[in-house]
Amino acid sequence: MTSIGLGHYLVVSAALFCIGLFGVVTRRSLLVIYMSLELMLNAANLALVAMSRFNGNLDGQIMVFFTITVAAAEVSVGLAMIVALCRKRRSAHVEDLTTLKL
Amino acid sequence: MLAWTVYLSFASALVLMLLPKGRVDLARGVGLGGALAGAVVAFAGSMMKQPGIQEICRIPWIPSLGINFHFAADGISVTLVMLTGIAAVVGVLFSWNIGERVKEFFAFYMVLIGGVYGVFLSFDLFLLFVFYEIAIIPKYFLIAIWGSTNREYGAMKLALYSFVGSAMVLVGLIAAYVVSGGTTTNLIELAQFGFSKEFQYWVFPLVFVGFAILAGLWPFHTWAPTGHVAAPTAVSMLLAGVVMKLGAYGALRVAITLFPLGAQAWQTEIGFLACVGIVYGALVALVQRDFKFVIGYSSVSHMGFVLLGLATLNEIGLSGAVLQMFSHGVIAGLLFAVVGRMVYDRTHTRELAVLHRFNLSRSLPFVALTFVVASAASMGLPGFSGFVAELQVFIGAWRAFPVFAIFSGVGLLVGVAYTLRALQKAFFADPELETETRGPVLDPISMPEKCGAMILMAATLIIGLYPRLLLDLIVPSFSSPLFDGLRNGAGL
Amino acid sequence: MSSIDYFQLLKLAGPEAVLALAALAVLAVDLIWMREAPIRQRQGAGAFVSILGCLGAGLCALQMPGFGSFANGMLVIDPLTLLLKGALLVLTVFTVLLSVDRDFTEHVGEFFALILLATVGMMLLVSSEDLLMIFVSLELTSLSLYILTAFQKRSALSAEAALKYFLFGGMAAAFLLFGLSLLYGLSGSTHLGGIAEGLVGKENDPLLIVALAMTVIGFGFKIAVVPFHLWAPDTYQGAPLASAAFVASGSKVASFFVLAKVMMLGFAGVHGDAGWRHLIAGWAPLLAVLALLSMLLGNLVAIVQGNVRRLLAYSAIAHSGYALLGVMSNSGEGMASLVYYTVTYGLTTLGAFGVVALVEERTGSASLSSFAGLGRRSPILGLSMMVFMLSLAGIPPLAGFFGKFYLFVGAIRTGSPNIGLVWLVVVAIAMSAVSLYYYLQVLKQIYVTEESAATVDVTGETNIVTCCAVGALAVLVVLLGCFPNLLVGPVLAATGSAGL
Repeated sequence: MTSIGLGHYLVVSAALFCIGLFGVVTRRSLLVIYMSLELMLNAANLALVAMSRFNGNLDGQIMVFFTITVAAAEVSVGLAMIVALCRKRRSAHVEDLTTLKL
Repeated sequence: MLAWTVYLSFASALVLMLLPKGRVDLARGVGLGGALAGAVVAFAGSMMKQPGIQEICRIPWIPSLGINFHFAADGISVTLVMLTGIAAVVGVLFSWNIGERVKEFFAFYMVLIGGVYGVFLSFDLFLLFVFYEIAIIPKYFLIAIWGSTNREYGAMKLALYSFVGSAMVLVGLIAAYVVSGGTTTNLIELAQFGFSKEFQYWVFPLVFVGFAILAGLWPFHTWAPTGHVAAPTAVSMLLAGVVMKLGAYGALRVAITLFPLGAQAWQTEIGFLACVGIVYGALVALVQRDFKFVIGYSSVSHMGFVLLGLATLNEIGLSGAVLQMFSHGVIAGLLFAVVGRMVYDRTHTRELAVLHRFNLSRSLPFVALTFVVASAASMGLPGFSGFVAELQVFIGAWRAFPVFAIFSGVGLLVGVAYTLRALQKAFFADPELETETRGPVLDPISMPEKCGAMILMAATLIIGLYPRLLLDLIVPSFSSPLFDGLRNGAGL
Repeated sequence: MSSIDYFQLLKLAGPEAVLALAALAVLAVDLIWMREAPIRQRQGAGAFVSILGCLGAGLCALQMPGFGSFANGMLVIDPLTLLLKGALLVLTVFTVLLSVDRDFTEHVGEFFALILLATVGMMLLVSSEDLLMIFVSLELTSLSLYILTAFQKRSALSAEAALKYFLFGGMAAAFLLFGLSLLYGLSGSTHLGGIAEGLVGKENDPLLIVALAMTVIGFGFKIAVVPFHLWAPDTYQGAPLASAAFVASGSKVASFFVLAKVMMLGFAGVHGDAGWRHLIAGWAPLLAVLALLSMLLGNLVAIVQGNVRRLLAYSAIAHSGYALLGVMSNSGEGMASLVYYTVTYGLTTLGAFGVVALVEERTGSASLSSFAGLGRRSPILGLSMMVFMLSLAGIPPLAGFFGKFYLFVGAIRTGSPNIGLVWLVVVAIAMSAVSLYYYLQVLKQIYVTEESAATVDVTGETNIVTCCAVGALAVLVVLLGCFPNLLVGPVLAATGSAGL
């Protein structure tokens, strides 16, 4: 059985990133968009941990601790914004954000 | 000393901005005072000028780039500074009747004058460019706010054409700066740096055309008739009289001086365009129905002579070009003063076909006299400055490209035609009906107008009768180190 | 295990610590003493404490040792970073002054605290040479700015703008993080210098190309270059004025500087060449394409804008394009020109937004026609706006002209003697000429067009702070334009000693 190498981890990470990107771009509900955004960030976290393991130093894993926290803060800000928007527009769908045009 | 022309102009602009609103008399007074002070300094400094290039000041400005605040003057600068002095004073005199937003008018006016003085006195390429661009914005506001026909369009067209021209110059300027090592922007040092022939071949047309757009080089001249017609009188006088000379001066001082080999390479093409400008401007002026458009196109035609003189690249042609800059500056001022302030402000029409109703030769005899003198000067009659200048340009052109000289002669003939046509139709046409022999009563010519007109007429007459006053300044400047490159390479 | 010397950290991070304490102080003052007071007083108190905090941070920065580094590049102190921190503090002070007269929220203390926290993030950002610090401080800044954009709770426009800003920003942060992770993986280090060493020999690794692309995407969003610019017009238009002004000025300075640092230090080996017919793959051609698109799109779309805020947004996109020339120069002079340009641009934009604020409050909208006749009603505001618009257009003797000139000279000098980047400089100059048209449109409204509605003098008592701030900014722009050496001299000395 082939051993799991760095390449495998990176492929999974890339796949997660692409799924997240696809979700952000195509989904309509803001909450699902946020989930996809988190997915993208966590894909990067996975890549960091994998690199750290195969590079031999701990810098990557330390970074992951911080980025997880930052991602949490980011999402809380985003959710607060959904609340602010819902109060005014009564909808949590992206297509309803049409006031500002080119 | 000459640098005070710049400082005084900007200072008076500042004072004007701080004046209380509504004090029209104060605003006019400060405007006239500033222009007069500048003119006095200009003439005094010119008369005290030592031979050769006279240094005025040189202060390090941005040492890391080698840029200095460097003012100096040679004969050419001094000639044009005197022209600016005359034009500034006369322009203020002819704007005496402006009633709306007077202090802003004179503030923009003085900034423009200050910028123009600055260009003529700068011997640092960067500084020259700075003043050149400073002069663009006041023009826009002066035309857009106080102008007449189609003023917003004319103002924007003028501003954009000027800016595009200066953008072209900026490209060439930066290229020349970097290629010469990026240590200095001093005009004299750059002139002595030998740029390679290939480099000059592409930089020269860029910089020359960039400057010449403002000088009305055909086919980039279309801003000129529209802009001149849209502008209020004093601004048209300044535009045609001084600002177009900025472009020609820049073409001479920067393009020809720094890139003489390139100038030689493109000589024929430039001469051709100048020639076309002369003839085209004259032909189009011949068919105009609006009096001011006739003068506007005549400016394009006369500037063609300047550009033709520049293209000859020999001493007599170049000196003719500079003298024509001075001469046409005065004459254009006179022509626009007549059309705008003296006639249009009273008759409220500029249609040549209609002006006969006012019987101008009887109702405004001083204006008729002024226009006769201006026409004579514009046609190039001996005794007026235009003759000396155009003669020199012709001789220079005959030596460089005889064919173009012949064609410009044709332009001269057409010039006589359109000038006489306008003179006849506006002033001396027969009134059609009996009731018109007296014509409607028009305001008499005011004292400021008379003073202004007489100053200009005197200027063109004096130089026409004794051109050595200026030629003694202009011709020796071609022996200065600035023109070494032209002498060695292009056979000055 | 090495222990961390917290005292040394406090000394090196002194300005940031002072500012963070000031943020808390503003919150405390507002919560404890000012609950019952009218909005004006609360704003005054909040602004006073904020400015005091900024001054304190500035003093702290002046007293710092000239050079220092903490934890292998996480916090780097050298003259250049100190200069930038000073510039950021100045921009923050002016932003605070601009927010004093605005009436858009009841949460006054929180607003000022967030401004200060964003500034802390920016100050940490310019001092960091480590991937982790870059990401965390970037996120601190961004999150604060998102919230600031959403602050006007009564307006749906504000919430919508903030959401768009947040979505784009979140995506960009994810891209940046992924790129940084790949960078770490390839080189084995999170410090920019170590990354450069680690990348030697791996120039053709496809993973490096991906890392480069993603990093550029991440930063490209912050500086609003095409095609990552879509958030800018909406944010500039929808956000409350002080927030929009802050986004336009401070965050640009910090983001450009850190982008330049990452490119010049981290990707030092992969510079490439963007010269005409001299193309070598690397980050320079990539940035050249972004710059080209930004200059073209920013200027051309700005022509058709009818709302001055959106016009400023598209002009910001164009200016980001010009500023990228400074990054591409890859030299100390290029960095100096970049710093000069972004700082003066920040000052100019703050001033322009200040005038927009006053016009908006009087007429209710920031459309071009609301500016009609401003020159006659309030000569000082008209003159200041003329200074700002002409500086943005690049007319001497204002700061914008010298900034552009310096950028262009730096860009052409790097490729010499083959003057490779000339093609991009020619495009930049041409687009500058185009931009004069829409800046003159604003000035035309101010000075040429007669206004129809009844006049109300905008420079009334309630707006004295904004007017003073705008006037001071105009004077600064003229001063820095006439005597550029005031800023260029120190910056060049700083880049020299920073070894760039």
